[in-house]
Amino acid sequence: MFRMDKNDQAAIRAVLSGDKEAYGALVVRHSAKLFRVAFRITGNEADAEDVVQEAFLRGYRKLESFELRSDFGTWMYRIAVRCALDRISGARINEDSRVGEESDPQQHQVQVADLAAGPDRLLLSGEIGAMQEMAMLSLTPTERTAFVLRHMEDCTSEQIATALGIEPNAAKQAVFRAVQKVRRRLAILRVKI
Amino acid sequence: MNHLSEEELVAHAYAEGDNHSVQQHLQACAECAKSYHTLGSDLADMKFAEAPARDAAYGHLVWESIAGSLPAYESRKSWFRGGLWPALSYAAAGMAVVVCAFLGGRLWEHRHAQAVSQNHAQQHEQTAVTLVQRVDVVVLSDHLDRSERLLVELKHADGGNAASPLGDEARRLLPANRFCRQHAKQDDDRALSTALDRLDHLLVELANQPEGLNSQTISRLQDEMNADGLLFEVRVLRSRQAASSTHSKGDTI
Repeated sequence: MFRMDKNDQAAIRAVLSGDKEAYGALVVRHSAKLFRVAFRITGNEADAEDVVQEAFLRGYRKLESFELRSDFGTWMYRIAVRCALDRISGARINEDSRVGEESDPQQHQVQVADLAAGPDRLLLSGEIGAMQEMAMLSLTPTERTAFVLRHMEDCTSEQIATALGIEPNAAKQAVFRAVQKVRRRLAILRVKI
Repeated sequence: MNHLSEEELVAHAYAEGDNHSVQQHLQACAECAKSYHTLGSDLADMKFAEAPARDAAYGHLVWESIAGSLPAYESRKSWFRGGLWPALSYAAAGMAVVVCAFLGGRLWEHRHAQAVSQNHAQQHEQTAVTLVQRVDVVVLSDHLDRSERLLVELKHADGGNAASPLGDEARRLLPANRFCRQHAKQDDDRALSTALDRLDHLLVELANQPEGLNSQTISRLQDEMNADGLLFEVRVLRSRQAASSTHSKGDTI
């Protein structure tokens, strides 16, 4: 994913030696990449920015445990994925609480879809991208994150597993379930068209 | 023929699993090939909104937003910069102190031994000188004592049988008198030297009378002795010598 930069090593050593400002160089160097994956997972610009900040804060606190043999960019990428996962997990809890008394899974899916415009309207307006975003809302946080990493970030199952802290087979299953769910959602929409 | 599961197709689409056997099956099975084609179309349609672009300023904004809440790390002491060199310096300084103390002790001991031996040598030398001086004092005191007795006997002698021992005693006193004269001259003691010169003359007179001491000779020597006050001088010298001997003993002790 990333190559370890010698400048990163020097900056990390400087930070650990008490030069806090050296961390700024790391933040500037890796913020854009972290924002990209954070946005893909959260699907929200504001949340993605929060995730990037949270990731760098966590990274700073854990910097003493970072092994200089490793790649700082990859290390921060995993932290950002975890932060994004935490973010959408929290959002999912909030959404669940907004659903309230509804317990029927079918109705639940419909209610989630209602957070945005209706499918017919989306298709009519040609906003297929928004429709796919709705399909993504039906995924669990882990499925969504695994799918984003697999489908958009081209991560292997091992890399996904490492980022999410799960077994590679579980990561593979999460990707499969996500693909399966999105395809079904898209199939329903195609039928309606 | 067993068809490929959806999971296997998804894994194959993402280039995971046993791609070779799946590829062979897809070439042989039209139904699975159709399913795989449909899956490929669906995955191709899954294009989500790209993340908004972030320029270089974004990183600075992120840093500004978090910099205030980051405490600075305490300086990490590396082995060479913070740990090993100071430790080695302290160890070297400690070793240097120990070595200096050891060498200083050896040097002090050596010099102290030299000083002690020098003191001992000086003490030995001084002791030897003192012993010689004490021997001289004893010899001189004894000589003056015997000389005084001889002069007293001469003063009261009237010739005859009493005169014979005077000659003998005078001959015995002559070597001691010469020895004491020699030392008195070396010590530049003029009073003693003069007295012993006169005593020597008298002793020679007493010792060298071939016919013995008659009344005339005794009377003449008594006159010389009285005229010169030789007995008085010998007594004074003996008293001085006794006082000097007492003082010398006190110093030695």
